[in-house]
Amino acid sequence: MTTTTGRPFVLPGETVDPSLVPTHKKHPLRLGPGLRHIPPSDIIPTVAGQLVTNPVKNSIWVEYNSQRYIPQPGDLVIAQIVRSTQDAYLASLSPYTASATLPQLSFEGATKKTRPMLSPGSLVYARVSLANKHMDPELECVSSATGKSDGLGPLTATAGTGTGTVFDVSLGFARRLLMARSREEGRVAVLEMLGGEEGGGLAFETAVGRNGKVWVGSESVKTVIIVGRALQETDRGGLGIEEQRRLVKRLIREMR
Amino acid sequence: MPREAEPSLSEKQFVLQALQENLRLDGREFDQYRPLELTFGDQYGVADVTLGKTRVLAKASAEVTVPYADRPLDGIFTIATELSPMTAPSFEVNRPTETEVLLSRLLEKTIRRSGALDTESLCLVAGQKCWSVRVDVHVLSHGGNLIDAACLAVVASLRHFRKPDTSIEGGVLTVYTPAEREPVPLSWLHSPFCVTWSFFGEEGEIAVLDATWLEEQVRVASCTISLNRHGEICQIAKLGGTPVEAVALLQCTSVALTKAKEFSALVDRKLAEDLKRRDKGGLMAELKAENDR
Amino acid sequence: MTATTAPEAALGVLPRADGSARYSHAGYTVTASVNGPIEAQRRDEHPYEAHVDVIVRPAAGVGGTRERHLESLLQSSLSQLILVKNFPRCLIQIVLQIEDSPENDYANTKLVQASLNFGIMPALFQTSVLALLSAAVPMRATATATAVAIVLQDGTRKKVIDPSPREIEAAKSVHVLAFTSRDELLLAESEGDFTVREWDEVCEIAERVCCRSTVTKEGIEMMLDDEVADGPDTRHFLRSAVEDKVAADLHWK
Repeated sequence: MTTTTGRPFVLPGETVDPSLVPTHKKHPLRLGPGLRHIPPSDIIPTVAGQLVTNPVKNSIWVEYNSQRYIPQPGDLVIAQIVRSTQDAYLASLSPYTASATLPQLSFEGATKKTRPMLSPGSLVYARVSLANKHMDPELECVSSATGKSDGLGPLTATAGTGTGTVFDVSLGFARRLLMARSREEGRVAVLEMLGGEEGGGLAFETAVGRNGKVWVGSESVKTVIIVGRALQETDRGGLGIEEQRRLVKRLIREMR
Repeated sequence: MPREAEPSLSEKQFVLQALQENLRLDGREFDQYRPLELTFGDQYGVADVTLGKTRVLAKASAEVTVPYADRPLDGIFTIATELSPMTAPSFEVNRPTETEVLLSRLLEKTIRRSGALDTESLCLVAGQKCWSVRVDVHVLSHGGNLIDAACLAVVASLRHFRKPDTSIEGGVLTVYTPAEREPVPLSWLHSPFCVTWSFFGEEGEIAVLDATWLEEQVRVASCTISLNRHGEICQIAKLGGTPVEAVALLQCTSVALTKAKEFSALVDRKLAEDLKRRDKGGLMAELKAENDR
Repeated sequence: MTATTAPEAALGVLPRADGSARYSHAGYTVTASVNGPIEAQRRDEHPYEAHVDVIVRPAAGVGGTRERHLESLLQSSLSQLILVKNFPRCLIQIVLQIEDSPENDYANTKLVQASLNFGIMPALFQTSVLALLSAAVPMRATATATAVAIVLQDGTRKKVIDPSPREIEAAKSVHVLAFTSRDELLLAESEGDFTVREWDEVCEIAERVCCRSTVTKEGIEMMLDDEVADGPDTRHFLRSAVEDKVAADLHWK
């Protein structure tokens, strides 16, 4: 049963029509989230969503939105420090789940003598380095290849004078924000609008965690609140580009 | 052990900073409630209250039972609040947390002890049979300010509820089923509502109404004032926390009165709408029966 | 008469749960919340699988043995649907809140109502499946359930789909059956006096109600009733309810 967009809606357990599965001469078929492979050749969806294919990369996956983050290696996440042990921090990626380990030396320029001091409750922007179903996930704040942080590390208010906080969004929305071309592919342009003419050129910085958290930092509290509310209302209301523009204008007006 | 989800330091600090600049994270005023919705179910006595992300369902029911030995002329009235993991995964069944105990105590003092429901009217046969009215409070979602939402839901459900009609002839009690005789409303004396203030700052100088879950984690004190629209106070509970100026508390009480009047008007309006909706159906049904003959 | 009101469902009704659903049909209304996979307590931890915890809360009164029975039935069947091997040592928590049950206008309401289990089982089952789909918990397949009662009417044994509480009380036997989306029998619970042949017939009727994917006129030659054609097309309903929600979620694509 195809939708008007041409992406078929699938429920768990339904067999995928073999004609929909892309083929490629060189690359093997890559299965993305929401599908499982039953040898020899069955591809079965495990969640309810829309089946999407990318013939160029020869990949197939199920597109869906959810609230509970499951760690995948390579994801950028915002973690909250729970406590510290002798040589690692325990950080939580989502509430009520097992904590991830973040080695204390996994920060740029950290040695045994100079370690970063992170107190419980502080936030870090990290990458998931290890995640599988049998082990607690592990994080890193520095690229293991180059030794540089690339923007990872503790999330604090800008230059000590500003302020910032983290807002909860759905996982699908976080993914849209992290896309390279979020306006065209993810159809989300709130952040651009807020920093552009519709928003009156607000100055703020953001960090998006794939685990459904967005850090917003700025000099003024009002700016942070406007950005946070814009993000959350776009997410919850399922707003399109035009509606996002109207939302930004309304928020600027309200918070004057 | 239930695992509590703690907000981060940044979130807590930010909420406080915003409040000090007269701002709240959702853009509300300090004395503004989130959008409040009240709906009644098809059955009598079911009230669903939505206050922002908080959702509370109250269901009233009644059955005939034996009265307490020391109070033969009174009926029985109980309010049961049991939080389940639906409220939040950190709550466990059969393991009361502080939130649950406080909620249950406040509802008890506000509604039961203030005599909102006339228990003497529940007596059927002195010392032998009486009505036992029971309200079950189900918290479907915890987004902050459970107390105000739960109290509103309980009051609305009790005012909406109809108990079966009864008659006593020669010492024999007959309880009519809903098909035989229309059920009758309870004997309701006054409608108390809870208004909870949360205090922030070193000396509790910032006072805010209807705190969200995050604001509740940051607050240094809270005070619940229960009163009805006539300004009669049923109880005031400030259980510990940072001391607050007495003058500020008096101001809070007078604002609470305004809110109680608003709640009262809301409940009255919703009950009237529900009555009209049922009446329409009732009239139609009556007409139909006549046509069938 | 069975109330053949159309079933209604809404997904994502609780803002703070990972997944939620509200389902009402034939007078029953149930709200379910799903949280998971989250960390399990030490005592519930399983080294290779996720633990599925089901909690049923009645509308009035505290839960008792009746609710524990419903919980154990749901837990064993839902554990077959969820891909528990994907999340070792984790917990999938499902809480079902019964909001409304059909009122028996001919009897006074008592808090403890006997034999109401089977009437509400299909509604509980459907709500759990919808909530699990809303939470995007990986599953092997979806499932639908229905209740059938064998009632003695005018000397013949009549099979009634989605029986009312009155019909359940008067029935000779009541059966609840659930089928997965691959037409496999997942759950079969029966109570009362019945023969093996009667059970086979009940199973066939239930299969027709649960597994029908399009409305066809196949089963008319049976001695049963047009109630089969009138019964809700549960699979189609499930599919369209979830499809609408997914389309709303992915409006941006």
